Amino acid sequence: MAPTGSAWHEGLSRVDRRVLFLAVAAAVALPLLFPLNLPIRISQEARAFHREMEGVAPGRVILLSFDYEPDTMAELDPMSLAVLRHAFGRGVRVVAMTTYAGGVGIAERILAQAAAEAGKSYGTDYAFLGYNPDYSATMLRIGESLRGAYPTDNYGRPTDELPLLQGVDRYAEIPLVVTISASALSEYWVIWAGGKYHARIIAGNTAIQAVLIYPFLQTGQLAGMLGGLKGAAEYERLVGRDGAGVRGMDAQSLAHFLIVLFILLGNLGYLLQRRVRARETRV
Amino acid sequence: MKRTGPVLLGFLVGMLMLIQYFTPNRWIEARYNNVLDWKQVVFGVTLILGVLSLLLHHGRLIRRRASGWGYSWVTVAGLSVMIVAGVLRGKEHGPYPWMFEYVQSPMQATLFALLAFYVASASYRAFRARSLPAGLLLIAGVIVMLGRVPLGEMIGFHAGERFYSLATLSDWVLAVPNLAAKRGIMIGVGLGMTATAIKIILGIERTYLGKGA
Repeated sequence: MAPTGSAWHEGLSRVDRRVLFLAVAAAVALPLLFPLNLPIRISQEARAFHREMEGVAPGRVILLSFDYEPDTMAELDPMSLAVLRHAFGRGVRVVAMTTYAGGVGIAERILAQAAAEAGKSYGTDYAFLGYNPDYSATMLRIGESLRGAYPTDNYGRPTDELPLLQGVDRYAEIPLVVTISASALSEYWVIWAGGKYHARIIAGNTAIQAVLIYPFLQTGQLAGMLGGLKGAAEYERLVGRDGAGVRGMDAQSLAHFLIVLFILLGNLGYLLQRRVRARETRV
Repeated sequence: MKRTGPVLLGFLVGMLMLIQYFTPNRWIEARYNNVLDWKQVVFGVTLILGVLSLLLHHGRLIRRRASGWGYSWVTVAGLSVMIVAGVLRGKEHGPYPWMFEYVQSPMQATLFALLAFYVASASYRAFRARSLPAGLLLIAGVIVMLGRVPLGEMIGFHAGERFYSLATLSDWVLAVPNLAAKRGIMIGVGLGMTATAIKIILGIERTYLGKGA
């Protein structure tokens, strides 16, 4: 009926994907080069996470599990680093582990960085137990005996000999379990460590995964949560030391807005085309 | 016996794991720990089987010169180099940690980062309000996407002392409808798992034994 009008409508929902890719690249890269310093609102979940960390007395040992691999490290590394900086800054000691084979390299790198910054010693202030096959059995076994689950640390040193673990062998002796997770591992910590052994748990999750663990947060089975890079940024602000989380917020804001803009454009084009087609059928 | 043995074993181990939850008995606790240790051993063995299966599969593709067999060479080479590097120089020093840090990590992170581009393209093309449920999903998605970033948190209005932003709406979407749906699914899954577990323990469900069981 009206070729010019139709082309205009269709154009809205047929933007070349290369244009889209370029726009996304610009939306992500430009704010990293020229920060906007947007204000960051602190959520209740992040406040609860921070409160739990603050509640651990100096000298006590917390369990930190690196439950992710390099694919999600851009989102989760800032959380892990912030947790370690917070813990070491308060004199809280950390025993770390991972439920992923690919998590070993990540944990070693972040532990080394945080320990070097805070001047902490391996074996006394922190230790890394490494990767154990089968996360469910590992989580349950720690409830009975941490040293039973991990007879040696990641470097082959018997866990019995680690000064850090003197008097610490099960959840009952660990005031807080922190899982930084890219999958349903947070849920499994709640079920096995929380449900059976009453461990107190807080979780840092990718944004996608965070949506799925709200039920545990509402019931109190999770005492606090960080959701995605935004959660990392909130926590960094609470700890008082900005890092990659805060730096990424401007880029994430613009990228989200851009995607929403494209979705709305696509829908506008679709609705207008539908109207034109309905009119044509009536005629 | 071929069927009765595994079913009986399943019954005994299943009952042990069930009973241990309700008793502090030392003997049962020790057996429970044995089962957990064995579970880790079995899991470790499955990893070895996985590696062997991967090698056999790609070995077959290479022998047959099947389509894309060059990629199979890359897979086998990558796997072999990492194993040899780990065995010869250990996992703390030498090429193994180097390759993890400078090859595997950037590659995995890059692949995941590409999702941003594909999500943008796919949601632009496919996320259409074609029906009422699709429209509601679209609205909820837009609210959560915008409400979870600082720029979206600045959009809203003041009502007295309080500032109602997209973040407030996003929190509500996550804490009420999302939570209700997720909880409903979880209760359904939980009941299903309990029923299946009881059926396995009692030997009613035998598909885990393979064909003909």
